[in-house]
Amino acid sequence: MSAIGLKLSMPQKKRKSRHVLPGFRLSLGFTLFYLASLVLVPLLALVIRPMELGPFGFWSVISTPRVLASLRLSFGVALAAAVVDSVFGLIIAWVLVRYRFPGKGLLDAVIDLPFALPTAVAGIALSALYAPNGWIGSLLIGYGIRIAYTPWGVLVAMVFISLPFTVRTVQPVMSELGLEVEEASATLGATRLQTIARVVMPMLAPAVLTGMAMAFARAAGEYGSIIFIAGNIPAVSEIAPLLIITKLEQYDYAGAAAIGVVMLAASFVMLLALNGLQSWAAKRR
Amino acid sequence: MTKRFSKPTEDPLWLKLLLGAVAISFIGVLLLLPLALVFTEALAKGLVTFWYAMIEPDSLAAVRLSLIAAGIAVPLNTVFGVAAAWCIAKFDFTGKTFLVTLIDLPFSVSPVVAGLIYVLVFGMQGWFGPWLADHDIHILFALPGIVLATIFVTFPFVARELIPLMVDQGRDEEEAAATLGATGLQTFLRVTLPNIKWGLLYGVLLCNARALGEFGAVSVVSGHIRGVTNTMPLHVQLLYDNYDYAGAFAVAALLAMLALVTLALKTLLEWRYADELAASHRH
Amino acid sequence: MSLAVDSITKKFRRFPALNGVSLVAPQGAFVSLLGPSGSGKTTLLRILGGLEFADSGSVRFADLNWLDMPARTRNAGFVFQQYALFKHMTVADNIAFGLNVRPRARRPSKSAIAARVTELLALVQLPGLEERYPSQLSGGQRQRVALARALAIEPRMLLLDEPFGALDAKVRKELRADLRRIHDHAGVTTVFVTHDQEEAFAVADLVAVMKDGRIEQYGAPTDVRRNPRTEFVSDFLAA
Repeated sequence: MSAIGLKLSMPQKKRKSRHVLPGFRLSLGFTLFYLASLVLVPLLALVIRPMELGPFGFWSVISTPRVLASLRLSFGVALAAAVVDSVFGLIIAWVLVRYRFPGKGLLDAVIDLPFALPTAVAGIALSALYAPNGWIGSLLIGYGIRIAYTPWGVLVAMVFISLPFTVRTVQPVMSELGLEVEEASATLGATRLQTIARVVMPMLAPAVLTGMAMAFARAAGEYGSIIFIAGNIPAVSEIAPLLIITKLEQYDYAGAAAIGVVMLAASFVMLLALNGLQSWAAKRR
Repeated sequence: MTKRFSKPTEDPLWLKLLLGAVAISFIGVLLLLPLALVFTEALAKGLVTFWYAMIEPDSLAAVRLSLIAAGIAVPLNTVFGVAAAWCIAKFDFTGKTFLVTLIDLPFSVSPVVAGLIYVLVFGMQGWFGPWLADHDIHILFALPGIVLATIFVTFPFVARELIPLMVDQGRDEEEAAATLGATGLQTFLRVTLPNIKWGLLYGVLLCNARALGEFGAVSVVSGHIRGVTNTMPLHVQLLYDNYDYAGAFAVAALLAMLALVTLALKTLLEWRYADELAASHRH
Repeated sequence: MSLAVDSITKKFRRFPALNGVSLVAPQGAFVSLLGPSGSGKTTLLRILGGLEFADSGSVRFADLNWLDMPARTRNAGFVFQQYALFKHMTVADNIAFGLNVRPRARRPSKSAIAARVTELLALVQLPGLEERYPSQLSGGQRQRVALARALAIEPRMLLLDEPFGALDAKVRKELRADLRRIHDHAGVTTVFVTHDQEEAFAVADLVAVMKDGRIEQYGAPTDVRRNPRTEFVSDFLAA
């Protein structure tokens, strides 16, 4: 007799789950418990803590020059890094999808390095590389260009950490595009440049924007790969996450939480924007 | 018949060379140079110095701590990932999309914020701080805190891998097993698990790599006590800040090797088991 | 202005797709390339369209060395089996595309282009759909738009690659009749690839039955049917 048959013929004492497969209550229960205790409750603490400052206190913490500068640095440079990564990510994806050359597979795998490499390792490597006595830093210092310990260093680190996002969002879309639309465009008389500008790029636009948003989100919150190369001078080259840690060390929990809330809110907005982008892109297909 | 022009879907040669050169040099300078530097600096003072840096007691302690933290976080997150994927893929209920968004949350949160939230709960000025101090329980600045922070930043990996995979695979086989009288556990072990094994492995691989390499979140909760509460990445920072470059890069090289192995395994899995991995991986 | 294809060969790596194909068709003829998959018919069509290059042989059309010209100067309208419409553009922009990319000197005015779009939509029996997007259209409608788009450039040659292959039988029959009507109206030399012999025979003036990169028989539909020259042709037509 099947398990379902047994279930149906037994007297029902209380309303049993109507699911065909077993384990619903258990799996959902465990999932929710895990999420609630590890994610929701602590996040609640983050949101509640700044409330003890009151709205006025919250605002005065956020609007101190040091805090504003750190937020401006984290978000501003993240945006710049996202744009740089979008441009180069597009080129790299194009080369990987469209061209054939030996070693392409290796190049493709290397793109994921910033994903896989621990941020502290990336941090000290970038710092050593772009320091005035580093391999690259020493070349540039002759021209008066300083990268390490300046906001430029922050930019380089953010470009490093976010590159995989821009490449990997565009790549699959590019390969799915297929060549037919380009062939159609050519038979209709368009030059290669016109084909790329009027047909290919608009079709890639949603993916490029999505990649840019993801790159921005990651770079804005990044810590480990940046603090070694950044210089960390308050109001000059101090990123927001570092300021959070500094406030914690000073036992200013509420202040740290205030900045954390701002960053969380920004992430949330990003997430919504990304979802909006996805549904817009889906509609055009 | 000679063709004097390229196919309509091919870029002209000059463009190919230009873009190719840009792509390769960008990747080379941005990604490969730092990697090369890690290994170069690690071995700069010779293999012997490298070896001593590795077996130095504080380094070993850091390795041990990293392995323990990952050893707790990864299995727990795997169980979570399986449970979440099971209920999302095999059942219908309201709030599913919300649940999936929730699971993706750690990816959009800064690692420092991830550590911060646990300080707000368990720290001396946090919710449970005084109570914990009274009972002499140490969460922060000790292993439990480190494990918690690690769990937070890595729990989406297995779930994100399994959910699309199991949704893609559908419920038919499990339903067949149910009609044949199998219990939930039997169904899972004999029917589901073989189908998801490569996706599961892939997710565990990524989860593990991130767990061993996590820096920001752990940095906030750890207390940085040398030889006691420093994971490998934190130890790297400590050595670097103290100008012990040979030591810092030695441990960093170890972590970099781990990253390369992870990348190699990841590529291998993607290549050979493309069909069994989540739909999102099929290029 | 007849079409003269002479001894075209084409190899893909080792695979010989075309083994010396020749045919002649008068100006304005409707030619069908008929055969099973792998017979080389699509390859020949793509060579005529400039999307592939022949290894040897020549094509003369409109007094031009056809193969010496890149695709975009040939003015050969091409209709794909999967439509290849520009999903991010409206129907109107799709149809107008060939006119919009012309260099300024040859580009008609905006109003002239709009008028042409309306005219073509009427011709393919889709009046009023200018502002729709391809995703909002049925398969049959999409193919009509693709046809209109190819016709917009006033092509000297119209090439169709199994254009009705992705559509159901009823829609196929309708489109087939419309295609013939449009061809007769415009008088453009048309080459039409299909594996469906009923379709080929219903619509073409000349049919080339192909197999393994060669033309087995070429002639008017009634001739080919009455006098199949090889065993393959008679088997293929009987199927």
